[in-house]
Amino acid sequence: MEAFHSLLSGFGVALQPVNLMWAFLGSVLGTAIGVLPGIGPALTIALLLPVTVKVAPTAAFIMFAGILYGAMYGGSTTSILLNTPGESGSMMTALEGNKMARTGRGAAALATSAIGSFVAGTLATLALTFLAPAIAELAFVFGPADYFALMLLAFTSVSVVLGSSRVRGFIALFLGLALGVVGIDGPSGQARLAFGSPDLLDGIDITVVLVSLFAIGEILYVASRFRSAPPVVNPLAGGSWMTREDWKRSWKPWLRGAAIGFPIGALPAGGTEVPTFLSYTIERRLSRHKEEFGRGAIEGVAGPEAANNSAAAGILVPLLTLGLPTSATAAVLLAAFEGYGLQPGPFLFVNSADLVWGLIASLYVGNLMLLVLNLPLVGLWVRLLLIPRPYLYGGILVFALVGIWGVGTSWMDLLLMFVIGLMGYVMRVYDFPIAPVLIGLILGPTAETQLRRALSIGEGNPAVLLSSPLSVCLIVLALAVLFLPALLRKLRTNA
Amino acid sequence: MSEQTPVRRPWWLGLVVVAIGALWLQQGSILPELGGYAGVRPGAFVEIVGLALIALGLVLIGQIARGVSFEPQDAENAESGARPSMRALVFAAAGAAIPLLTMRPLGFPLTAMLAFALVTHAFGSRRIVFDCAIGLLLGLGCWAGFTKLGVTLGGALPLAGV
Repeated sequence: MEAFHSLLSGFGVALQPVNLMWAFLGSVLGTAIGVLPGIGPALTIALLLPVTVKVAPTAAFIMFAGILYGAMYGGSTTSILLNTPGESGSMMTALEGNKMARTGRGAAALATSAIGSFVAGTLATLALTFLAPAIAELAFVFGPADYFALMLLAFTSVSVVLGSSRVRGFIALFLGLALGVVGIDGPSGQARLAFGSPDLLDGIDITVVLVSLFAIGEILYVASRFRSAPPVVNPLAGGSWMTREDWKRSWKPWLRGAAIGFPIGALPAGGTEVPTFLSYTIERRLSRHKEEFGRGAIEGVAGPEAANNSAAAGILVPLLTLGLPTSATAAVLLAAFEGYGLQPGPFLFVNSADLVWGLIASLYVGNLMLLVLNLPLVGLWVRLLLIPRPYLYGGILVFALVGIWGVGTSWMDLLLMFVIGLMGYVMRVYDFPIAPVLIGLILGPTAETQLRRALSIGEGNPAVLLSSPLSVCLIVLALAVLFLPALLRKLRTNA
Repeated sequence: MSEQTPVRRPWWLGLVVVAIGALWLQQGSILPELGGYAGVRPGAFVEIVGLALIALGLVLIGQIARGVSFEPQDAENAESGARPSMRALVFAAAGAAIPLLTMRPLGFPLTAMLAFALVTHAFGSRRIVFDCAIGLLLGLGCWAGFTKLGVTLGGALPLAGV
């Protein structure tokens, strides 16, 4: 009941005209970047970080939430009309949705995806409303050893689940951890790996790393393998909207997708790829129209799209309650919290109740806005795809420069941008996952602090790391995650 | 994949990872013994990261020796299987590198113009004057707009003292 009360006051915050304006701005921006190739929600939020320094934190996070959800809506539009999933979470949508669009059912595919996203997003936000305070409550008992074990779990799971190879996932993670130790070491005051550069004493800013990996790496990669043929957009005209039959075939996949997406998104191993894949597999098994799968089955769009959005809300659970990011977007949101001097975790719910509940309430509002923005206006969004690619990528570089030069007008940041950008290129060519770098970079220093705290409590005896049942559980889980890919591969071959 | 094309063996990839690890290990080891907390030196975590990178680099070299495949990631507007164009890559990289030379003397708007024009060239646009004009407009717009929003982007043309 308490959560309900808090939510009501959250709506009081979210429905203020100024905050509605921020939510709208975020939704529009999010949809736009979801449609555009080369820019995702993580990059957008990272680029906006310097701008939002002047904005109140509540307003900024309401906008970020709009971007997070909006990108999901926009991403499904391109998967369906263009067969280019902007992110791994929309891969399954592209599979069936694009086939539907080719046979003149594009409008119905877009509708079931948008309405499914709305239904699942709302249900997941509801779950977040009641689950998050409970988990935050739980987190009060976490000691340093437990936090360290939790970080280990996050490290192993992002390295294993994201990407195709465990070794490359771990290399990405440790590169992030390596970047994270640069700068002055808090407890001892020692400069570590600064190589005599005063600019490196403050450490490497996550904005610099994220923008370099995502924007510069992407520009280099796409430039080197650019396909100059214009993309073929499936026509929307003439297609019929959702029929009675479509509704009947969609509503169950929506609910199942929401139910699958949220818990998996909330796990430290989270992400959106696994739940969308799972949802697709399940819908395919349960469908009475199995023969349509692979040729444009509406269930194959409805389920994964719902799972996708529901997982996006799930990602907010560990982020808000434990300060644990499980995706690149969550990592940059954590950086935003830190930028405002806020520490996500149990105390956030106590000290910044307005912000947390305003944010959660704005998720409901944003979902509704996105439904309205996307259903009737989809033709408008598709026009964004007509931007000539040279100008699109040139523009991305200019905005990346704003983001990086704006951090501290430091020449060292520009050098890092170039070097880490090249690294981003190599990682794409040799298929290294990128998100673990960011998770390592942002969680590494926290993990080190917790490790040192735990060890100083245990007077240097490493056994202290296994002193509480919770930390033992988490470490066992972290080890178990190492064996998850084998299981996933099995699922994949069965599908 | 590997049946038609010879297996790529990017040894250097593993070596680079080992080298980074070695650098971190060495830097961690020269940090002073005395730290704030009992038990953990400031260099300890750095050394752990360095050792882990060396180990992972060696495993990667082992995988490369066994001929593990590296398939480029999919991206929009890109053909992952296509032969990469070195020319385009060099131009795009030049666009990312040019700020190192020009940002401090020439300021944000002109740097943005150069970077923009280099990237559009990498993507096949050949209207150099037009691209520079668009880049300059975009650069000026960003500089003015973001400076107004409170982002520090330096002077418009530091060389001229502006």
